[in-house]
Amino acid sequence: MRRKLGPGIVIVAAAAVIAVLVYGLTQQGASRALDEALAAGRHPAAPQTTRLLPALDRAGGAQASLAHWRGKVVVLNFWASWCSTCTAESALIEHAERQLAASGDGTVVGIDYKDLSGDAQQFVASHSLSYPNLRDIDGSFAAAYGTDALPETFVLNRRLQVVAISRGEITQQSWLTHWIDAAARA
Amino acid sequence: MRRAAGIVAALSLALAFAAAPAGAVTQRTSLVTIEQQVMCVTCGIPLVEADSVAAQREKAFIQRLVDRGDSAGEIRAQLVAQYGVAVLALPPDHGFNVVFYVAPVAAVLLALAVVALLLPRWRRNRRASPGAGGAALSAADSARLDADLARFDD
Repeated sequence: MRRKLGPGIVIVAAAAVIAVLVYGLTQQGASRALDEALAAGRHPAAPQTTRLLPALDRAGGAQASLAHWRGKVVVLNFWASWCSTCTAESALIEHAERQLAASGDGTVVGIDYKDLSGDAQQFVASHSLSYPNLRDIDGSFAAAYGTDALPETFVLNRRLQVVAISRGEITQQSWLTHWIDAAARA
Repeated sequence: MRRAAGIVAALSLALAFAAAPAGAVTQRTSLVTIEQQVMCVTCGIPLVEADSVAAQREKAFIQRLVDRGDSAGEIRAQLVAQYGVAVLALPPDHGFNVVFYVAPVAAVLLALAVVALLLPRWRRNRRASPGAGGAALSAADSARLDADLARFDD
């Protein structure tokens, strides 16, 4: 019995180390749970809708969560000032915001990701972005959406369910128009 | 004369005390020093090794703070405010993060304790084992071995 104790401890310790390594490796990749749910024809609930994030302009230490826009269509756009493709698509995103504001159906909400607040504010000013922007300081909010590369855009319906996902730059205004209409009807 | 010397000595002492903390406060940090202590938050490697656009922005931010005369601690605090604690190469040593520092030491101590506990037992068991020199052969095996050896002798 005692002879088996030593090897037993070594085996258990080795198994624990392997389990930790496997867990670490499986946690590396971005989650695609939202994409899989959409592909299966479902409209998954947007993650972390009640989580408060600091507003980019931080006027009065302002914070907001997505729940603030419940009842409206939300185009959730993850961006950063260091991301060149975010610059390329910013005009389309701003156009969508103006359409949503004109119809009263909803708004774009920008999520500034792993960025310096000063650089981000400069980006907003230089691209004349009129929609609210929140800061995801450590990237954990983006991680809940499976976002690990920019830009990415999620169209949410009035119940804050995900209706469409664009992982990468949006190059066609028609994509936004189509999915905003679909979200407004959903 | 003695009085003058006493005044000079007192003034020298006062100056020495006044100069000591001032020297400690004016110790400046550098971009390279901070780069070695923080991560590029978008690339997941030490900032000193990173050269992405985001890393260059981060370096420029640090350089501005260095030029302003901020201390290393102040610069790290401002980086955490901008990027969260993930920007630090080593997590802060308080709260749950203490686990990161304590766990390796505890693991080594535990391993040493297990070895210290089991090694004498294994040694004792080995010494006490009756067949330490090898298992005895059965009569059949012994006969076969003798036959084989006899064949080699021929």
